[in-house]
Amino acid sequence: MSVIVNEVRRSTFLDSIVLMRISRQIAALSGVEEAGLVIGTPANKDILQEARILGADGDKAGPGDLIVALRANDDRAAAAALAEAKRLLDHPEISGVPTSENTSRSIRAAFQRLPNANLALISVPGHFAPSEARKALALGLHVLIFSDNVAIKEEVALKREARERGLLMMGPDCGTAIIAGVPLAFANVVPRGNIGLIGASGTGIQEVSCLIARAGGGVSHAIGTGGRDLKSEVGAITTLMAIDALDADEATNHIVLISKPPADAVAKLVLDRVAHSAKPFTICFLGAQDLRVPANARAAATLKAAAELAMGKILTNEPAQPPLLPFGRGKLVRGLFAGGTLCSEAQIVFGRAGLKVTSNVPVPGASPAADGTHLMIDLGADEFTRGRPHPMIEPAVRDRPLLDALADPTVGVILLDVVLGYGGHADPAGHLTKLLAARDQGQVILASVTGTDADPQSRHEQVHKLTEAGVIVTASNAEAAELAIRAIGG
Amino acid sequence: MLATSANSKLVDAARHTWSRTIPILRSGVLAGDFCRWHSRAEVAAVFKRSIFLRHDDAFVCLAAPSIGNGPLTLIAEFNPSGLRRGEPVSVTERDIAIGDTRFNFDRWELWRPPPWPRALEYGRLIKVCRSLAVRMTADAPAEGLGRIYGQQTATARIARPRVMRFESWLRDTLATDRATTNLSSAAVHDLIGMGHGLTPSGDDFLAGALAVLDALVERKAHAALARAITAAPHGLTSPLSHCLVSAAAAGHVGERLHLAVSAITMGDVDAAIASIRTIGHSSGWDMLAGATATLAVVAAANAA
Repeated sequence: MSVIVNEVRRSTFLDSIVLMRISRQIAALSGVEEAGLVIGTPANKDILQEARILGADGDKAGPGDLIVALRANDDRAAAAALAEAKRLLDHPEISGVPTSENTSRSIRAAFQRLPNANLALISVPGHFAPSEARKALALGLHVLIFSDNVAIKEEVALKREARERGLLMMGPDCGTAIIAGVPLAFANVVPRGNIGLIGASGTGIQEVSCLIARAGGGVSHAIGTGGRDLKSEVGAITTLMAIDALDADEATNHIVLISKPPADAVAKLVLDRVAHSAKPFTICFLGAQDLRVPANARAAATLKAAAELAMGKILTNEPAQPPLLPFGRGKLVRGLFAGGTLCSEAQIVFGRAGLKVTSNVPVPGASPAADGTHLMIDLGADEFTRGRPHPMIEPAVRDRPLLDALADPTVGVILLDVVLGYGGHADPAGHLTKLLAARDQGQVILASVTGTDADPQSRHEQVHKLTEAGVIVTASNAEAAELAIRAIGG
Repeated sequence: MLATSANSKLVDAARHTWSRTIPILRSGVLAGDFCRWHSRAEVAAVFKRSIFLRHDDAFVCLAAPSIGNGPLTLIAEFNPSGLRRGEPVSVTERDIAIGDTRFNFDRWELWRPPPWPRALEYGRLIKVCRSLAVRMTADAPAEGLGRIYGQQTATARIARPRVMRFESWLRDTLATDRATTNLSSAAVHDLIGMGHGLTPSGDDFLAGALAVLDALVERKAHAALARAITAAPHGLTSPLSHCLVSAAAAGHVGERLHLAVSAITMGDVDAAIASIRTIGHSSGWDMLAGATATLAVVAAANAA
């Protein structure tokens, strides 16, 4: 059980470097999980809260006060750390942590420092990303561009250059990849195995890789391509190179492709390449109608189905009994998703059940948002994230839409996703449950948790928080959507 | 009786025999105002090269020349090691007395920054922004705002959306034709008092933003930002930092920041970074983060 300790020093002014040195020293002590020394402004209390180290004493501090905040494994470690913090504050001259950072000024300098590196991850504002990517390519590095807002012309030029050099260009807007067991950007801690994933969708890769992991399988590599790779302009350059790579990879026995439906010509290009492989494929083009796949491939309508085909077994359905809708509530379902692909998958599940569904990001067969139908909202879409971070990083993006849904008497079921892993919010379930604590027991709330117990947030702990708050948690996003349909008698 | 009187005179004489008399060499505009308006103060903080004197919520910095000139700074060749926090300070327009040390104004000069240089055209400034962003990502300290896009610290998670809201606010402010806007100041207030350090990173960020707006003669946006800062509720930041960011809102920035922003607007990234490195541990980088974010928004708006 973690222990949070705060101490407040009134009207204390210390040099910034001293505060940061002491902060690092305390954080490095045995048994200390997190530590920070900041002045007690409201904004800094937000930061301490976010770091889960704000206690009642710290919360009472004023803007001229210094807060010493820490979280430790147990009381003993907390007391020892606080004593050390006091000693260093009383004698700031004895804090002498080296301040040099293990950073380089440029990709070239970083490469000189790590000459065996073979991949550069680029996460800078979008208009700066292409020039950095070109430098990395020139050094012979594969590239993952996390940044979005890169012009599609630049993307095409970068991917062509990478192809000419025999290098993989993942992205722009590549949110997820796992290369040789190393998670990059938003990714989960999954065991290594023999299933290779290629995805234009970050949350799609996350959901499938986690379902595989929880079913006892593992992932050889998960290669993100960026959301536009299967568009006609780009022509699946990265997807085709990724298929080549996994086809040649001895550790990969089965390859899963995940994407929104590509343009017809691009789909043909990709499926022709698949047909030339000796390995089995699962093709999950979410929302594709009448998809014809080669003999060595199977088509999956949902992410869950893709994981099942890759694993060769049906994943468990839970729970068996649909929840009862409370009396007096409407029968509409409102889905509020952090993951865009999870939103698409829910629409597909509803569409396959013959239910009319609308969305701000409709899949084929669904329609743009309109009143009076089941509504699936992708909260990662531009209208929700303009000037704000993605809801996987900042779960508060969902607060207003969730409160609206809770207050809407026509809504009987609320569908949610919680996406864990590196890069995501430290405690998305905790944030949700705080918001849900004030609700009346109106709607049925269903959620899926994309993640594993080995993730930094621990799926087990996140599920526990949600179930304690009365949320019904299913094993997959598709099952949450299926259960919602059963709950409304569909 | 005679002896007693003589002793008394000796005591009086001793009172005015300072063990150290140190000339103040330069004074910022607001530092001079502090000395005119307040007759007493106390030592609020003692650092290696500077001390801060406080009267209520007003501060002045008494610093060695290596700190650099500033609007709230009095420059003198001295070593603060003998001074103690909490010591009472007597202030007049002629001198500042702390214990047996007297800082006199016998031969001081007023320091003001030079006028801003003529800026490059916006297309070239966009390239400057690009270089600055790369340098910040590589070199800025982990604790500040210079590297929030590459990190998953609690500070970065809180700061990222707030910086983005500020950029959005600035875009909207630049887009409106009115001299005064009704735009919410929350995007500015959210940054005040945010982050590590004696002057929180958010305050330094805003100082950098103000300096760039001033240098680019974006008067309307500068006034809007200054209004938002001065109208901020009391208690969002520390009294000391409030004093410094208020000075920036009034158009007064320190010598090092002025040098850095001048270099930025003339396209000399190396000179800008060199100057930034001399401002505290992370404060300079936080100022640079604000300056770069602001320059990117302004340049994009004007280049479009």
